[in-house]
Amino acid sequence: MKSGNRLALLGLQNAPLILFVVVLLTFGLMSDRFLAIANFRNIVIQAAPIGILAIGMTFVLLTAQIDLSIGATMYLTASVLALAFTGLPWPVALLLVTVLAAVVGAINGLIVTVLGVASFITTLSTLFVLRGVAMWMSETRTLPFPDRITDLNRAGVLGIPSAILAFAAIFALAWVVLHQTAFGRQIYAVGEDAEAARKAGIPAKRITFACFVICALCAGVGGFVTVTQIGAVGPKYGDQVEFAAVAAAVLGGVSLFGGRGSVAGTVFGAILIKTVQNGLNIVNADPYIYPLVTGSIIFLAVAVDGLRTRILDTLNRRTIRPLQAN
Amino acid sequence: MSPPAPLLLVEGIRKSFFGVEVLHGVSFTLGRGEALGLVGENGSGKSTSMNILGGVHQPDAGTMLVEGQPYRPADPGAAIAAGIAFIHQELNLFGNLTIEDNLFIDNFPRRGGLPFINRSAIRKSTQDHLAQVDLDLAPTTPVARLSQGERQLVEIAKALSRNARLIIFDEPTTSLTRREVARLFGLVAKLKARGIGIIYISHALDDVMAVCERVTVLRDGAVVGTGTSRDLGVPRLISLMVGRSIETIFPQRTAPPRPSDVLAVTNLGQPGVAEAITFTIRAGEVVGLAGLMGSGRSELARMIFGLDPFRSGTIAVEGVELRDPTPARAMAAGIAFLTEDRRGEGLLMEAPIADNAVLASLRSVANALGLIDGKRVAAASRTMAQKVRLSTDRVEDTLVKHLSGGNQQKVVIGKWLMRAPRLFILDEPTRGIDVGAKQEVYRIINALVEAGSAVLLISSEIEELMGLSDRILTISRGELTGGFDRLDFDREAIMTAAAVGADHAKVSS
Amino acid sequence: MTALNPSAPAKPGAAPPSAIRNLVRLVLSEYFVLVLCAVYALAMGPFVPELWSWEVASNILSDMMPLLIVAIGQTFVLVIAGIDLSVTAIISMAAVVGASVMSETNGYLSGGPLAVPAALAAMVALGLAIGTLNGLAVTRLNMPPFIVTLATRMFFAGSAVWFTTFHTSSSSIAGLPDSFTAFADASLLGIPQPMILAVVVTVVAHLILARSRLGRWIVAVGSNSKAATISGVPVARTIVATFAISGVCAALAAVIYESRMQTGSPITGENILLDIIGAVVIGGTSLFGGKGKVLWTVFGVLFLVILDTSMKLLGTSLFAIYIIKGGVILMAAVIDTLRHRILVTR
Ligand SMILES: Nc1ncnc2c1ncn2[C@@H]1O[C@H](COP(=O)(O)OP(=O)(O)OP(=O)(O)O)[C@@H](O)[C@H]1O
Ligand SMILES: [Mg+2]
Repeated sequence: MKSGNRLALLGLQNAPLILFVVVLLTFGLMSDRFLAIANFRNIVIQAAPIGILAIGMTFVLLTAQIDLSIGATMYLTASVLALAFTGLPWPVALLLVTVLAAVVGAINGLIVTVLGVASFITTLSTLFVLRGVAMWMSETRTLPFPDRITDLNRAGVLGIPSAILAFAAIFALAWVVLHQTAFGRQIYAVGEDAEAARKAGIPAKRITFACFVICALCAGVGGFVTVTQIGAVGPKYGDQVEFAAVAAAVLGGVSLFGGRGSVAGTVFGAILIKTVQNGLNIVNADPYIYPLVTGSIIFLAVAVDGLRTRILDTLNRRTIRPLQAN
Repeated sequence: MSPPAPLLLVEGIRKSFFGVEVLHGVSFTLGRGEALGLVGENGSGKSTSMNILGGVHQPDAGTMLVEGQPYRPADPGAAIAAGIAFIHQELNLFGNLTIEDNLFIDNFPRRGGLPFINRSAIRKSTQDHLAQVDLDLAPTTPVARLSQGERQLVEIAKALSRNARLIIFDEPTTSLTRREVARLFGLVAKLKARGIGIIYISHALDDVMAVCERVTVLRDGAVVGTGTSRDLGVPRLISLMVGRSIETIFPQRTAPPRPSDVLAVTNLGQPGVAEAITFTIRAGEVVGLAGLMGSGRSELARMIFGLDPFRSGTIAVEGVELRDPTPARAMAAGIAFLTEDRRGEGLLMEAPIADNAVLASLRSVANALGLIDGKRVAAASRTMAQKVRLSTDRVEDTLVKHLSGGNQQKVVIGKWLMRAPRLFILDEPTRGIDVGAKQEVYRIINALVEAGSAVLLISSEIEELMGLSDRILTISRGELTGGFDRLDFDREAIMTAAAVGADHAKVSS
Repeated sequence: MTALNPSAPAKPGAAPPSAIRNLVRLVLSEYFVLVLCAVYALAMGPFVPELWSWEVASNILSDMMPLLIVAIGQTFVLVIAGIDLSVTAIISMAAVVGASVMSETNGYLSGGPLAVPAALAAMVALGLAIGTLNGLAVTRLNMPPFIVTLATRMFFAGSAVWFTTFHTSSSSIAGLPDSFTAFADASLLGIPQPMILAVVVTVVAHLILARSRLGRWIVAVGSNSKAATISGVPVARTIVATFAISGVCAALAAVIYESRMQTGSPITGENILLDIIGAVVIGGTSLFGGKGKVLWTVFGVLFLVILDTSMKLLGTSLFAIYIIKGGVILMAAVIDTLRHRILVTR
């Protein structure tokens, strides 16, 4: 292959990264504040909550399911936490909401796997129920958190902010689970073909169930990280984040039809979205055009990816006879 | 001391689906190091019996003993644990995972007491097992990149990695090249020598005879005969299977080809796929295309039908050039195309027979307002069902997925016959269907040709090509390498011409 | 619903009395969701007797119409195994663009005789254009429908807000002509006009999906696009057509919403996305393609609107509405799933 072709191929394979660099350079040229290290730190901090949610969503998407209830789960766990802090010692309160998140995921998982209801409709209904319960418990008020919690936002280890630590820890954990454990590989098998997985002796239902629990736990953690950043939880908390989480995952190459993608891509997707929003903020863009630019970038990224797959497919097509050199 | 228990004893297995009994007491035995053939028409219950053995389904009645011990697997995992490996008709690998992950997917070795996969162990072990099946691939190759034959070998390697005592092959050769088949048979012989029992299901009766010491015949969910291959013989097998004897598989055709060309392909070429392909097919003629798998035979068919692009050359139907072919244009010119992948590309599995049947001829079932007329759909589909002798005439409420393989194939053929095609391209029309259904397909092809249509027949079975074709062209590496008239048909010569240069074929990326 | 056969033959043997048998048959038929609506309305009767009054019933019907129209468009997209998240943005965008054309205070054609027809044409054209854009992105650029329509949803929802700022300093474009705002309340031969529009859309959509060549193509593409290609179906064009239909339906719904709200607001329809998709899926259309009927969507929307109305009438607080709504949708889905199991084992 000629070197020009090879370069083009290399470019194509790394198209999402190139797009990312283009975004960075564009904003960088518009404002010198953008390319500062401190700003990158900010971007990752801002991307942490949605990134954590999207990592959980990735588990569910990989099994060819979807969880629309993560925003509601996040709202419910944060509200319960806010209430629990008023009476219980903090470790007990944290334990309580962790268990609560797991229970929510277990309910979703049970309905999907045992009763066989489609996950879209299951989690659509639990979305309403969980939101309702949270509003009932919080009496539809905005609940504040003690300073102890918001202080966490400024805390960190070795100068690394806590949100980034949480994000990195969850990413590392998810990566190890997906790539280095039997459970992780089996998730991919179930997502590729659940019936084939069953025939191969894989407990497909248990795996799907576990992914819903993981997703809900991530929603809980993502909600908690958000709480440390904004210090309160109100009725609009977590509204529509499910779409943002799916967008981040899909942007990173996760397929909605299961079995394809990785958490590294998801993290990339989340960071890309937040980079754009951060950049717009820094260059003082008209707030009205935020959604326009974000929408366009998501569109562009996925369009390039689609094009890339198509071209790579053509290039990798098996040939029957040698290509004439001409 | 009593004689040692056989490896497997199956006694009186019954199974119903949705209130309909499909297995009425199936019994057979299998010894160590023995290969048992299991044959029967489409839908006779071969796969269902094996699904019970492999833990996919639970039997309603009956007993199974493995080496004298009661055996009743609750799920596929239990069957695997008991040393019973099942290589399914539709291979059961995960394309998105690597070979090594597929091999150990339900049983990854761990590192120490930790939950992490012991990569180095599985890589080593995968290499060993791939070597045992003579497959020279890296353990980290994604399965999606493998050919069907390679996947088959990976399945066998997987069975070996589990120390299987019994390996079930459900129609293993349907998408293998002859060379891969030979390799498979060599491997089966090796497995037998190691004392592993084999159950071998196939519609290729000659293969069954070659591989198996004994054969059990199923008809309508019951065993109608068991015997040694030597005593039975293919004709006897067939009559046991279908309940009547089939004398001539290939019906005679009386009308000779007519002089006018239906298809004229000139200098067709596409870089890396085909080069300077020129041939014609006359009205009333069957032209067979012989080639190894991957020789470009299906690609040629797909180019003519407008599914794959080509860079040079022309295609003319009845003297009119087919420009920029798309399936719709090819169909308008009178071409029909039966794909080799019935499930993947031929049928809407979840839809009823009628919806499949009229999909390519919607205009003909529309009323004056252009709206599809349900009555016409039903009538047209029923006519089609009779013409191809489908097993059911409940065309509106039988879903295609509930039909046997042979009947599914008849639906696809019927769909195209409805358009009365001038040229019918048939890619592996008898893959996976039983002898009775095969004969029916041959009858349909003959009737079409006698009425003056042209047929381009692609098949891996050389007997089928020789039995049906007026002329056989051989293709290798995307080039036509020979042509034989009916009078000069010679099995060896055709196979040689089809294999020209094939050894040098390279897969480039 | 995947009713194998609407009038599945009852098993011979112990024949139950015919009334029970008919009931069983109804529950197992594709009218199941309609039965569910009736059962729900009956069950709620003692708590909200108003539910059975003529006034409330006609309210339910009129509430249903715009939602029904969008949901029908969505049905087409779901049948090809796609999804259209951009419908709510199309509704918002169409609402403000329509208002900008016909508004009597500062519309482009303010006061002109063609103001209203031109506004309607602009709205429909906009729906068609965005729908086609979605479809082309899916087919030409090989992008997943979910992400395409998520991006266009963001883009056009944002655009609607931005667009409004050029026309008014308030949050919505007011001053719509009376002839337009009257549409929502006017009747023809005693039938409310929005209902006539919805019925026309329903009938046409039904004819397209169930009786036309395009409809057969859509189902074929949704069940197996490769098989469809080989059968001569123009797959790409079929996919584009479904998104275009969805876009146009969203624009038509925008007409009703806007006429009822009497102002062109950029948040029109903002919060109904999950209701739309939920209604279609409750009706029985599969998210995995190949299966769907316009009639099912009618029942699904009816169910959701009865549910919403009864909640409002109960006068309970928002949280109770959420809990009950979620619970009832879940129950409907569970019953439906169990029903299917019974169906296949018969
Ligand atoms: N899961 C199932 N649900 C309902 N019916 C089934 C199921 N599996 C098999 N059947 C029915 O049981 C009968 C036996 O099918 P089976 O697949 O065992 O046939 P087979 O002998 O393997 O045929 P072929 O040669 O086509 O593979 C058929 O009538 C089939 O329709
Ligand atoms: Mg079988």
